[in-house]
Amino acid sequence: MAYTLSGRLQSRLAATLVPLLVACVLAVALPAWWPLELAGLMIGVGLALDLLYDRALPYQPGWAALPLGAGELVLVMALARLLSLGAPLAAALAFYAGAWVLAQLLAHAGFPLLRLSYADDGGELGRLGGVVAVAVLAVFGTAGGYAWSTRPPTVRLSAGIHQGPIVITHRQNLVGERGAIVRGGIVVRASHVVVRDVATLGGEYGIEVDGAHDVLLDGVRVVGATLDGIHVRRSKVTIRDCRIDSPGGYTQGIDISFSADMGMSMVENCTVVGGQQGIVVDSAAADVHGNRVSTTSYQAITMTEMSMGMIAQNEVAGAVGAGIACVDQSMCMIEDNHVSGTRPDRSTPGLERQSGYGIVSDYKAEAELADNELVGNARRVGVFAGAEITPPD
Amino acid sequence: MNRAAPACAIVGGGLGGFVTYTTLRHGGLEPAEIAVFGTDPDPAATFRACAAAIRQRHMRSESDGHCLARSFPGLAVRSALRSGSVRPLIDSVRDRYRPTVEEFLAHVADVREGSGWDESFRHGRVERLRAVDGGFEVDDRGVFAHVMVAPGHAGLAYPPGFEHDGRAVHSYERHDYADEVVIVGAGMAAATEWLNALAAGASVVSVRRREPARRPLNVDRAYFTKRGLAGFQRTGPEARIGLLRSFVAPSYPPGREWDEPLAHAAATGRFRVEPEVNGAAQVICATGFRRGFDADPLLRDLVERHRLETAGGWVVLDGDSTVPAVTDEQRTLGLAGACAQWAHPGADTLVGMKYAARHFLRRVRRWRTR
Repeated sequence: MAYTLSGRLQSRLAATLVPLLVACVLAVALPAWWPLELAGLMIGVGLALDLLYDRALPYQPGWAALPLGAGELVLVMALARLLSLGAPLAAALAFYAGAWVLAQLLAHAGFPLLRLSYADDGGELGRLGGVVAVAVLAVFGTAGGYAWSTRPPTVRLSAGIHQGPIVITHRQNLVGERGAIVRGGIVVRASHVVVRDVATLGGEYGIEVDGAHDVLLDGVRVVGATLDGIHVRRSKVTIRDCRIDSPGGYTQGIDISFSADMGMSMVENCTVVGGQQGIVVDSAAADVHGNRVSTTSYQAITMTEMSMGMIAQNEVAGAVGAGIACVDQSMCMIEDNHVSGTRPDRSTPGLERQSGYGIVSDYKAEAELADNELVGNARRVGVFAGAEITPPD
Repeated sequence: MNRAAPACAIVGGGLGGFVTYTTLRHGGLEPAEIAVFGTDPDPAATFRACAAAIRQRHMRSESDGHCLARSFPGLAVRSALRSGSVRPLIDSVRDRYRPTVEEFLAHVADVREGSGWDESFRHGRVERLRAVDGGFEVDDRGVFAHVMVAPGHAGLAYPPGFEHDGRAVHSYERHDYADEVVIVGAGMAAATEWLNALAAGASVVSVRRREPARRPLNVDRAYFTKRGLAGFQRTGPEARIGLLRSFVAPSYPPGREWDEPLAHAAATGRFRVEPEVNGAAQVICATGFRRGFDADPLLRDLVERHRLETAGGWVVLDGDSTVPAVTDEQRTLGLAGACAQWAHPGADTLVGMKYAARHFLRRVRRWRTR
């Protein structure tokens, strides 16, 4: 068809109305925002490209819908990735494909049946076109309004010391001003919680997350927690840009445990100093990426008890015992880490696996190694008790 | 509205009239509300004879070259459903689908049967159309508020001097082929005749004034929608006449099915091009139809009687294919077919006829709901 520009835009908007409503239903049912965000992205990309098509394609044969649709798909998926929409790939592809097929059916059959002069008018839908544009705007307006109204409340902690523990049981953002310190720790027991720019002092746990998902700990600082700096149980969290200073004794910087069925947690760009273990992933799935862990007294980064995940681009320095350990039937990809100055653990004489290895794979664990730099460690790589390392050191 | 007295008349019982009729019926008019004046109750009679004469097997039009008001489902969809094959649909999205003449004629017959056409049909050629208060007087058959004139082509066109030449036969007249045939013209009918004559074992001399253009349709596709049409309708008289003349220049579709037989025949000396008619025993004039309003007695009379504006042989029309001088809130005079090219350059195609019919329906509806 030789579309007019107005016809292209009207047809596009009319064809996206049903997918948009489906996206609304999906957004409520899942619940998640990605269906609506993806639908919005598809419409935005489509409308922008229509401006281009109008100049490039005075006449658009039916077959052209296929390459144009494929091109739009690539663009939409690339933008979805760039904007971190969080749409599962298979679901996003299915949604796009469904919307595309519907658009073709409407363009070739639905609209011509609906409007006698659809082809004559170059794809314009007359009054219906205006109604559709308003409807699309209304859907987005309603969704946007709903999103706005359901934003979690933001609680701001002023600078200074606040007596804790602060217990968070509802969706909220806890944001600290510069110098905001909570004495006695923070406990998160709700999903969709953000804790940002807050420091904790003392307490058994600096920050405890229990039974929650989609929790973000961003720019937090923990000092002097007597057990764990950040203690995560049965939860899915993202921890980034944090700093943990652990005292000696039986302490851990970050401990994510018993969350294997909760999805992938993330520990990124954190600095952990001291303690017995720096970052521990126990029966959980996690990506431990770009962290600096130093002067731990047992192991710096540990994945244990059938955990699974990636340990990449971390800097481990001055650990006693072992630098990075993949233990107890865990599956670890250990890549591009820099491990230096690991020393033997003198408190456990005769325990071979603690004798200063840069990387250890222990008890039926499977560790895949690539591009790690091991510098000045007492020993390089150790494999124990039926564990495996590939490639063999 | 008085259902006993039709408010709408269609002058012309050919495909243009038929498309207008099906569109009006789609718009909710009953057969009793429409009078169709024609000389043959079969709306495809003229087309059938012409197609048979040139042994045309496929339509030049595509899937939407059908007679129903809605463009969907087109002939490709119907063919796919009938045959159980997706091939027609694939061909259609590739702009390669050409329904067979047989399929098209069967379609016309089907639509005719279910449309009430025969109920509305009134036999007889209309000689005179006169604008009167509240409508148009059609001969002495009554006054109708809305009239669509779809007179069809105004007769066969011959090259000068050949109309009464005993050697000459028009391509749209029944004929066989001599051993050596001169075919005058270079459009779709001529190209079809080249292949027909070669297939019949004749040698062919193609006489043409200019080389034919190779394009799928006789008018660029953009002109079939508002995209191209809006610009066309904004042109002034001179530019529009120039455009229309360029559209009637000879053309036929590109494709191996045309090129290969001609190349083979040229290589074996059975096909050649010459500027003049030689002394061949048979001259086939594939020169189409007479053009211009003055070739049609009804249109000529209408123009003279009402001093309608004309330009370059075309009646000047509004964008909705109506005659502005005699169309107002109370009455509508529309033109469909080749005589409506001032409004739509593809008016002589089925899609162009539907364009005129839809606008006509819009006016009729407006009037009916008042």
